[in-house]
Amino acid sequence: MKPIIYPIGQHASLIYIKSDRFKSELLSVSFAVPLFENTAQKNAMVMALSRRGTASFPTQALINEKLDLMYSTSISASARRLGDMHALGFSADFLGARYVAEKGGLLPDVVRMYRELLRAPLLDEHGHYTAAFVESEKQNLRDAIRAEINNPRSYAISRCRRLLCEGEGYALSLLGSEESIDALSAEDLADRYRALTETLSPVFCYVGNTDACELAALLRDAFGDFGGVGVPYSSSVHLGKGMREETAEMPLFQGKLSIGFRSDISLGHRLAPALMMLNEIFGASPASKLFMNVRERMSLCYHCSSALDLFKGTVFANCGMKVENRAVAEEAMLAQLAEIGKGNITDVEFDAARHSLANTYRQAFDNPGVLSRFYTGRAMIGDDETVTSWREKLVHVTLDEVVEAAEHLARRAVFFLKGTRDGEDEGEE
Amino acid sequence: MSTSSRIYQSSLLGESYTFFQHPSGLPVYVFPKKMTTTYALFAVDFGSVDNALDAEGRELLPDGVAHFLEHKLFSNEDGSDSFERFSAFGADANAYTSHTRTVYLFSTTERFFDSLAELVRFVTHPYFTKETVEKEQGIIGEEIRMCRDNPYDRCYYNMMAGLYQSHPVRLDICGSHASIAQITDRVLYRAYEAFYKPENMALIICGDVDPNEVLSAVDANLPVYGKQTPVVRRTVSEAPHAWQSTVREKGQVAKPVFSIGVKDTDLPADPRARLKKDVGMAILNEMLFSQAGELYNKLYDSGMISPELSADYALTRDFAFNQISGESWEPEAVLDAIKAYIGEKQQGHLSESDFERCRRIEYAEYIKSFDSTEEIANTLLSFVFEDSELFSYADIVQSITLADVEALLHSVFRDEAYTLSIIEPQEEQMGDER
Repeated sequence: MKPIIYPIGQHASLIYIKSDRFKSELLSVSFAVPLFENTAQKNAMVMALSRRGTASFPTQALINEKLDLMYSTSISASARRLGDMHALGFSADFLGARYVAEKGGLLPDVVRMYRELLRAPLLDEHGHYTAAFVESEKQNLRDAIRAEINNPRSYAISRCRRLLCEGEGYALSLLGSEESIDALSAEDLADRYRALTETLSPVFCYVGNTDACELAALLRDAFGDFGGVGVPYSSSVHLGKGMREETAEMPLFQGKLSIGFRSDISLGHRLAPALMMLNEIFGASPASKLFMNVRERMSLCYHCSSALDLFKGTVFANCGMKVENRAVAEEAMLAQLAEIGKGNITDVEFDAARHSLANTYRQAFDNPGVLSRFYTGRAMIGDDETVTSWREKLVHVTLDEVVEAAEHLARRAVFFLKGTRDGEDEGEE
Repeated sequence: MSTSSRIYQSSLLGESYTFFQHPSGLPVYVFPKKMTTTYALFAVDFGSVDNALDAEGRELLPDGVAHFLEHKLFSNEDGSDSFERFSAFGADANAYTSHTRTVYLFSTTERFFDSLAELVRFVTHPYFTKETVEKEQGIIGEEIRMCRDNPYDRCYYNMMAGLYQSHPVRLDICGSHASIAQITDRVLYRAYEAFYKPENMALIICGDVDPNEVLSAVDANLPVYGKQTPVVRRTVSEAPHAWQSTVREKGQVAKPVFSIGVKDTDLPADPRARLKKDVGMAILNEMLFSQAGELYNKLYDSGMISPELSADYALTRDFAFNQISGESWEPEAVLDAIKAYIGEKQQGHLSESDFERCRRIEYAEYIKSFDSTEEIANTLLSFVFEDSELFSYADIVQSITLADVEALLHSVFRDEAYTLSIIEPQEEQMGDER
C-alpha cells in the first residue's frame, strides 16, 4: 500500500493509495497557506461560502440533495494547523463503484463536485459573493467563535496554545477573532478567494481501487490548469524561553489544567520518533504514566493525558480535576515527565508504548481517513516518509533516545480554567 | 454438550459471519474480515436501566452500578490492571456503558489470542475490595463532574428526564455523587452475579481470525458455569405522553443548545417488526430533518438554527424516543416550526422522490458500515441484543414502503409526546484572573 504520486497539471498532485479492502472510497483535496491573523478568518469564510452555493448548484439545499443522490456521499470541509501553516480542504467519502447503479461509479461525480466547490463559487455580476450568504456565514462564524467555551477542555488547551506560542501562526485561532468579523465584505472575501486559488497548490489524496490513470485523467481535466506555485512550508520550531501562566474562571464544576511544552524537535529531526515515544509513555495511552499514576493510583481525575504535535514540536498535558486538587495534580503530572527525563521508565511502560504505536500505524491501513491525513501532511512539508517506514523508526527507538528527547522539552506555559461552581449533585449548589 | 453453529451470509455485501452457541450458554459471533485490525468485544446485556434485582423493583441498585462495575472489572486480584496487560500484548483496550449494555473491547494487529484470553478472563473474574471501590469513587466522581460541565450531555439527560417520569432511562448512566457513594464491593458482587451470566452476554470478534481458534480460546479461558438462573428484569411502564414539556438549565454555552425529545411507547414485541420500525424512522428522520430537506433549509436560511441539526431515533425492547438537537436563539420557535411542518405533512403526503432519496441514503450508509472491524462488531452487537439479524437490515431497506413511513409520521409525532430541553447561557460567563 505504498502511495504513488502523480502530477496533475502544473500545480496540483495526486497521492494515489490503492486498496481493495474498502466498500467505500475516499478522495480528499488539501492545500496549505501561512497562518496569518489577517487571512485565517477569510480563509475560513471562503471555505464555508463554497458550500453555500456554486454556479451549477446555487443553494446549499441543491448541493446536499445532489450529494444524497450520490448515495449519501459526504464532503466535509477540513481545517487544521500544520505548524504555522493553515491546511484547508475537503474530504469526500463515497460508495465504491460495485455498489452503485451508475456505470463508472461515483468518482467522476465527486471530481465534478470538487470542481464546482473550488472553481465555480456562486458570485454575482460584480464578482462578489452573495451578500445574504456572506451575512449568514458571518453569523455562523461569530457563533462558532463564541461556542469555543462550550467545550471547556478544548478551550483550556486552546488558551494554553496561545500562551505557549504567542506571536506565531500556530497560536492563532483558525476562525479568527469576533472583532474582525463585522469588517468582512462580500467583495473582500471574493478577492481572498481569487488570491487563494491563484497561489494554492492542491494535493489530492485517493484511497480505493479505481485505476490510477483513469483518476489522474479526471483530475487533469478538472484541475490541470488550476492553482499556483504554492507557499513553501515553514514553521518556527524552538525551545522558547521563560514560563507564562494564566488562570481564568468559569462557572464549571471542575478545573481544567493544560500544561504546554515546547521542543526544538519536529518531523524530520533525528529525535522525532523518540519524542513520539516519550509522549506515548507520558500520557497518550491507558498504560501511560499519567493514566496509571495520576488517575489510577492517585484517583485525582478521570481524564489525564498528553498530546503531541510533531509539526510544531509541542506537547500539551491536560487534566480535569477538583479545583482544590490543582496543585497536587500539576505536581504529579510534572513528576511523571521528570521520571521519564531520568530514564525511570519500566520495561513494561516502554514495551507498552512501543506496541501501542506499532499498533496505531498498522491500523492506519484500515482507515482511509488516517492514511489520507498522514500522507497529505507529509506531502505538504516535503517529506516522503511512509506509514511503514515511520512505524519502523518508532519501534527502533531506544530508551536513551527517549531520555535525550526529554532534554529537548521545556515547560513554557500553564493555563488553568478554574471552575467556580460548588456542590456535587443537583440541589446541592 | 457441544457447540452448535449457524452461518449467516449476504450476497449484497459479499460477507458472512458465524454464530456459535457455546455450551456455557454464551453466544459467540465471528465475522471474518481481511483487515489488519482485529476487533473483539465482550458485552453484557446490562446497562444503567437495569437497576433492580427483582421484577417488582423491591431491591434496587444504586444508580450508576453498571458503569461502576465496568470501571472496576479491569482491576485484578494480584493487583495488576488489565489495561497494562492489553498494552503488553500490543492491544488498545477500552470499555463503555450505555443505557442498555456494558461492553469491554480491544483492537489489535498482533497477538490477538493473548488479548482475547485476557478479555474473556478478566470479564469473568470479578475482584472488588472496600479499598479499591472507594478509590474508584474519586475517579468516577471526576467523570460525573466532567459530564456536568458538558452542556450537550446535560441537554440530553434533561431531555430524558423530561420525557420519562419513572423509567430508569431518565437517569445519568454514571449515576450521581450521592448514588456512587452507596456503591460497595458487596453491591458490585450482587450486580455482577445477577447480570454477568453467559446467556446474558455475547462475545463478538471481527477480523482476520480462524473461528475454531476463537472457540478454543473461549474454552480455555471461560470458567465452568453451573446451571444458571435466568436474568430477571423489571419492566417500568410509562404513559405515552412526555412527563414535562420543557426543561431548562443554565450552562456554559454561548448560544442556547436544545434537544427535542419525542417519546414513543409503541414498542413492537417482534424483533423484526422493531427493526422495520427502526429502518422506517431512520428514513423518516432523513426526509424531515436532513440538510437537503425543506424544513432544515427554511430554518437555516432564516437564521433560526446553527448549521448543525441532527435527528436520531433510538429503539430498544424497553424504550424508544426520537431526538432532534441543535443550537438556536429561539428553541421554542424551532419546536413550533418543527411541529407545524410535521402537522402539514400529516395532513398531506410525503414525497415519493424524497422517500427514494432517503432510502438510498440508508442503503449507502449500511454498506459503508462494513468498512471497519470496530463498526461491524458494534453494529452486530446491537442486532444481537435486540434479537435481530444483521444482514436482514438491507432487505428491510429494500422492502419498506412510503406508506410504512407515513404511518410512522402519524404514530410517532404526537403533540403530547414532545419535550424541549434547553441549556441557556449563564449570566456569569467567565473572567480572566491574570
